[in-house]
Amino acid sequence: MIKKFLTIGLCSAAFAFGAHTAAQAQDKDLSICFAYQTLETEFWVAGHAAMTQSLDEKGIKVIEVNANEDANRQFEQIKDCITQGVDGIIIIPQDGESVIKMIGEANKAGIPVAVFNRPPNPDNPNDAIVVVADNVSIAEAAVEHLTKKARELNLDRKVQPLIMVGALADTNAIGRREGFNNVIKANSDLYAEPIEVPTEWDASVALANLESALQANPDVDVIFTSSDFLFPQIRAVLSQQGRWQPSGQEGHVILGGLDGDVTACKLIRDGYVDATGVQDLFFEADSTVEALLKAIEEGDKTPKQQIDDKGFALTQDNEAERHQDMWGCVLADKQG
Amino acid sequence: MVSESVSSATEPGRGGVIGNWSRRVVASEHLVLYVTLVFFVALIPFIPKIATAQNISNVLSNVWPLLVIAVGQTYVMITGGIDLSQIAIIAVTSVLGAAVMTLGVDPKVFADTVLWGTVISQEGGGILSGHVWSMPAALMIMLLIGGLMGGLTGWVIARFELPAFMMSLVALLFFSAVAVWLTRSENVNNLPPSFSTIADQGYGGFLSWSALIALGVAGLAHLGLSRTIFGRWIYAVGMNPVAARISGVPVRKVITWCFVVSGVTAAIGSVLYSARLEMGRPAFGDNLNLLLDVVGATVIGGTSLFGGSGKILWTIYGVLLFTLLSNALNLMNLSFFAVFIVKGCVILVAAWLDVQRREVKTA
Repeated sequence: MIKKFLTIGLCSAAFAFGAHTAAQAQDKDLSICFAYQTLETEFWVAGHAAMTQSLDEKGIKVIEVNANEDANRQFEQIKDCITQGVDGIIIIPQDGESVIKMIGEANKAGIPVAVFNRPPNPDNPNDAIVVVADNVSIAEAAVEHLTKKARELNLDRKVQPLIMVGALADTNAIGRREGFNNVIKANSDLYAEPIEVPTEWDASVALANLESALQANPDVDVIFTSSDFLFPQIRAVLSQQGRWQPSGQEGHVILGGLDGDVTACKLIRDGYVDATGVQDLFFEADSTVEALLKAIEEGDKTPKQQIDDKGFALTQDNEAERHQDMWGCVLADKQG
Repeated sequence: MVSESVSSATEPGRGGVIGNWSRRVVASEHLVLYVTLVFFVALIPFIPKIATAQNISNVLSNVWPLLVIAVGQTYVMITGGIDLSQIAIIAVTSVLGAAVMTLGVDPKVFADTVLWGTVISQEGGGILSGHVWSMPAALMIMLLIGGLMGGLTGWVIARFELPAFMMSLVALLFFSAVAVWLTRSENVNNLPPSFSTIADQGYGGFLSWSALIALGVAGLAHLGLSRTIFGRWIYAVGMNPVAARISGVPVRKVITWCFVVSGVTAAIGSVLYSARLEMGRPAFGDNLNLLLDVVGATVIGGTSLFGGSGKILWTIYGVLLFTLLSNALNLMNLSFFAVFIVKGCVILVAAWLDVQRREVKTA
């Protein structure tokens, strides 16, 4: 019985200590609520690190909440942040639709809000700072390099492209597909009708669907993934078919992606991936924080602004000169 | 059916006044409410904002949808079962209800879905879009579909005597896939403004449609359990299904209808969550956090996982404690991982207290 009470006592003490620590932590002047939807992929982990570092460097208290890919939970967390009287809110939302209601709550409470990297849908009637990569042009840049490589194949048939599409409730996914399709249509003499593989931004869904697609269409020559975090799944499926080969080897599938993460950087260096569209994560994080702090300083409770990250394509051809501009290569170099 | 006697625990000479008082508290059916109140008051010095009107309003607006779903789970759990398929029912009904009443979706996104040209017209609006009865009709369709889905799961469990855990898991997987298939994982948006008002917080979290609906459902469910023959049958099935069958209780029908109740409450929860996010959302079926909250709140309230014991009042207490706990952990700014560790500790304590209560009651 004593042990049982001791267990409960320890749990209670841990809880009380947490509460006390939290109460002490509420003393700083400026507080920002940073509500993110997941830390599942390299991109979001790096985005989280870049954002918290940018806030820390400015001596701002950060209240972090992780929704674990649950839009409803994120909505509740945003309301809890508002209750705490934070000075500003930064959201990485689950999708571009659910965030509209969250922005509305912040607007009603008179708290400036910034949306990082995953913008609200165009019909959003509420006001927010939106920092977003120009997904269409970045995807176009990457796919244009893939097209150059595809032309060099000199096949006696049309080249078969395949795109792994993200969740289409996400504006990023829509933009990336649009960029891909723009280049495919502009080169209709080269390409056959593209195959679309839905991923829902879920690695297991992507793996299963890609396996099926490649069994049905073994002649795929070009694969473009809407996010670099799916390269391990592509590698797994192509390895099964003996087609995971570096550029220049027989059987090589021309590969491209978008994000610019550590895996993509390493795979470009190893010759397996031909190009990836790069988002300037550090620019996006700094821009988000600076724009939000400016709004707070000026007393603008409902700032409305869009900041575009132009990005670029890192390819096997320009990797040596531009790798320092890609966040994934910077992290890869740090990791050794 | 549920033992509430504490007389044996209060006999003198077994630990003195304090011992008797503590046994009385532990054995009380209101224990979780007491714990909730003590927890709330104890946190005020550390997190003063927890007692603000705005925060209490937030907590209550989170309580209502969870309560409705947990009420249905309580019915199933009292029979000795568990319904894991509730979140999938939420997903399917959310998508279909939204599709019926949407004012217009993007044809580029939905043209390839099975809903296009059937539930959603070629113009992009729902088949009842703009009609004065579109919202009530959509709600009725959601409840009907929820009841049918729950009933189907319950019928298979009862007819083939399958474990509820296994069959409801199968239903969870199947219906979640149906929700994604219906829209190819797209959200259905642009719902009528009248639908969104259901999720408005009202005054202090109380005077809202969500509150009225949740309290109404809980009240009806309480009457159903405590004042009807059907309620007595549910407890009898949970305590000993063989004895219940010999006594003339229609065990299969009782189990099936409990799952119908669970399906309907899940559909009502779907109405509240969909109104809150202003969209039909197939991803609700992947929301295992919500499933854990529903089961956790029901069990913390005191409803036994082994069946035969439980009350709607207890579930209300459990939902209150669980929601307050989540709110407090958010306000304390604990990390995501710490939140789950603390929640685990609380569920452990609740389970331990449940065992102690049984010992005290049987002493």
